[in-house]
Amino acid sequence: MNGLKTSALALGLAAGFASFGTDAAAQDCTTKIGAVLPTSVDWGKPIAATAQYAVDIANEAGGVAGCQIEMVLRDTQVDPKVGVDAAKALVDLDGVQLLLGAVSSGVSMPILTSVTVPAGVMQMSCCSSSTAFTRLAEEGKTNGLFYRTFATSGVQAAVGAMVAQDAGYKSVAVFYKNDDWGQDIGGLVADDLKALGIDVTASIAINDGQASFRAEVTEALKGNPEAIYMALYPKEGTQVVREWISLGGSQNMIAANALKSDEFRDNVGMQYLANFTGTDTASPRTDSASAFVDAYTAKFDGPPNGPGLANSYDATMIALMAMHAAGKDATGADIAAKVASITDPNGTPVTADAAGFTMAKEVLDGGGTVSYQGATGNVQFDKNGDVSAPAVTWTFSESGIEEQKYISLTEVNDFMASLN
Amino acid sequence: MIGVISYLVFFATVASILSIAVLGLNLQWGNTGLFNGGVVAFFGAGAYGTLILGGTPQAGQLGGFGLPYLLALLGGMVCAGIVAWIVGLLTIRLRHDYLAIATFGVAVAFETVMRNTDALGGAQGIRGFERPLRETLGNGFTYNLAFFAFVLILLIATYLFLERLIQSPFGRLLRAIREDETAAQSLGKSPSRVRLTSFVAGSVIMGLAGGLYATFYAFISPQDVLPILTFQIWAMLIVGGAGNNKGAVMGTFLIWAAWTASGWALSRFAPLEVQLYTGSIQFVLIGFVIVGMLLWRPQGLFPEKLVVSQSAKNK
Repeated sequence: MNGLKTSALALGLAAGFASFGTDAAAQDCTTKIGAVLPTSVDWGKPIAATAQYAVDIANEAGGVAGCQIEMVLRDTQVDPKVGVDAAKALVDLDGVQLLLGAVSSGVSMPILTSVTVPAGVMQMSCCSSSTAFTRLAEEGKTNGLFYRTFATSGVQAAVGAMVAQDAGYKSVAVFYKNDDWGQDIGGLVADDLKALGIDVTASIAINDGQASFRAEVTEALKGNPEAIYMALYPKEGTQVVREWISLGGSQNMIAANALKSDEFRDNVGMQYLANFTGTDTASPRTDSASAFVDAYTAKFDGPPNGPGLANSYDATMIALMAMHAAGKDATGADIAAKVASITDPNGTPVTADAAGFTMAKEVLDGGGTVSYQGATGNVQFDKNGDVSAPAVTWTFSESGIEEQKYISLTEVNDFMASLN
Repeated sequence: MIGVISYLVFFATVASILSIAVLGLNLQWGNTGLFNGGVVAFFGAGAYGTLILGGTPQAGQLGGFGLPYLLALLGGMVCAGIVAWIVGLLTIRLRHDYLAIATFGVAVAFETVMRNTDALGGAQGIRGFERPLRETLGNGFTYNLAFFAFVLILLIATYLFLERLIQSPFGRLLRAIREDETAAQSLGKSPSRVRLTSFVAGSVIMGLAGGLYATFYAFISPQDVLPILTFQIWAMLIVGGAGNNKGAVMGTFLIWAAWTASGWALSRFAPLEVQLYTGSIQFVLIGFVIVGMLLWRPQGLFPEKLVVSQSAKNK
């Protein structure tokens, strides 16, 4: 009996020594991070899947601060109560110091004010676009804990106006989805168009879930605009465009990135989309961006065409890198403080894949800073946790979605400055 | 361990706030038989009222009057009462399903108005509200504990008030109108006035819940006043037992626990490939609970205690 014990001990010790210094020993621990995303709605699922994909890549690259990452995913049901409760459970019961989410600003905001800021947990949203976050940060009420990788609506609105100017449209009607994102971007694009001397004949709110948008479309037709601008999602976008064209509206169309979907193209029909131009915030012209598209395509059997996917990926990657920089058992505030060293424009450029993650870890361990070259661009946060980004214009083609023109970060910033 | 307690306090706070709203609905439906399908409108009026009266000024928005908190909360209740009074006057002749449809319409209209009126926050909602006593109590666990105590006191006060009310002659009158309006009228009572009183009183209680809810989150947006909340509050009352205040509170805690625990359990135990579908599974589970309840115990967990009269009960 004694002999058995001794030999078991010896075996155990031997196994311990054998694995000493390899990754296996360092990977005994698991760090949890939280994600609150609307997985019960169709467009929310891929956003969550992309976040999980980024976590898998980080784990493949040896984890974060010596530990594997486990992402605990909770559904928000796009209901603020449910989202806040899920966030609170993640923070209190799972002890997460990093929370990814939410998508809707109306859910992210109460999470921020009643859960993450009071608990000192860092919150990184992929997709909340409301300008209210900027104002909250300016008032100093986010304690620097909030970041988002969704460029504020200002970039896309400005590029939308730029497209109208370049195409020589003299009058434009604006359709916007009647939610925080749509109201924001609809208001901004109208201001930008006016600043360029383009007539805005109408700004029309589109409430989703309506059987018909005939009344709204007729209202827009009255001004007889040369073109329309749409900040809409595919579902209501399809319906609006169908009714707009069937009532004889112009086929000159400009749209924000939410319409960047094959579903929209197929349901409207290519024959009506010849003069359609979309805008989006863009990837930088680096290998890492196309590598993301390739890797994503390989993983999910299709290109990342849904809204918010690249943003979700970058949000997760940047947050995990910052977590590594902050070290083991870091608090939310520690992690948030390290974000700047991940997105330092003067840092070592790193790609957004497993190799890039490993490289970032090496540089950060050596006390350096990195410049993360992400799927949404060379991401840089301002003091309010907002990002600006380069932009692209795109069109639909028979085979899918094609990029038309790349507008660099400098060009975007200069153009936006010229509008003010 | 402190995490578990902290979460339980948080959970109990939200459940208590919702309980107050369910108690308000119980007065209307359980005791008076008024089918209010627009709970969120009154809940929302209380929430918006409280934040507008008690918040700090925001550019381009109505409000920011910065009133002392209790006054703001009271103001929110008054807002809910005024909305209920107007809606009540308009719908006084409506019964049952007609009243349900009309009030449901009011709730949708309320949400649409809030979403489209920039001065009331628009789709972005109202923020800039300072939670009362935050300076003194800090922002963490102590604060949540104190706020929970505050909510609990109000819940108990509401409960005792309603228990007292339904045992009073007025409570008997409510039930008389619920059971047979013509008979009550023949005894010289004015059903329409009593119905209106009950409707406004119940709505003011919902407004109180709304005000507390907005205070707790320091934020309110149209997303908080979607019809799903009306459905949740109804489900709580049905499961708990309409007509019984204890049932209303228990039903709230049970349904809200089921709602949150199912999400937690699925995120914890469901296999990885199912994780993305947990949201949908959760809806199915909750649907099962409600349907099962209606099939096996339609009177609710705590059915109404029918008492012929106070004197008969006391014998």
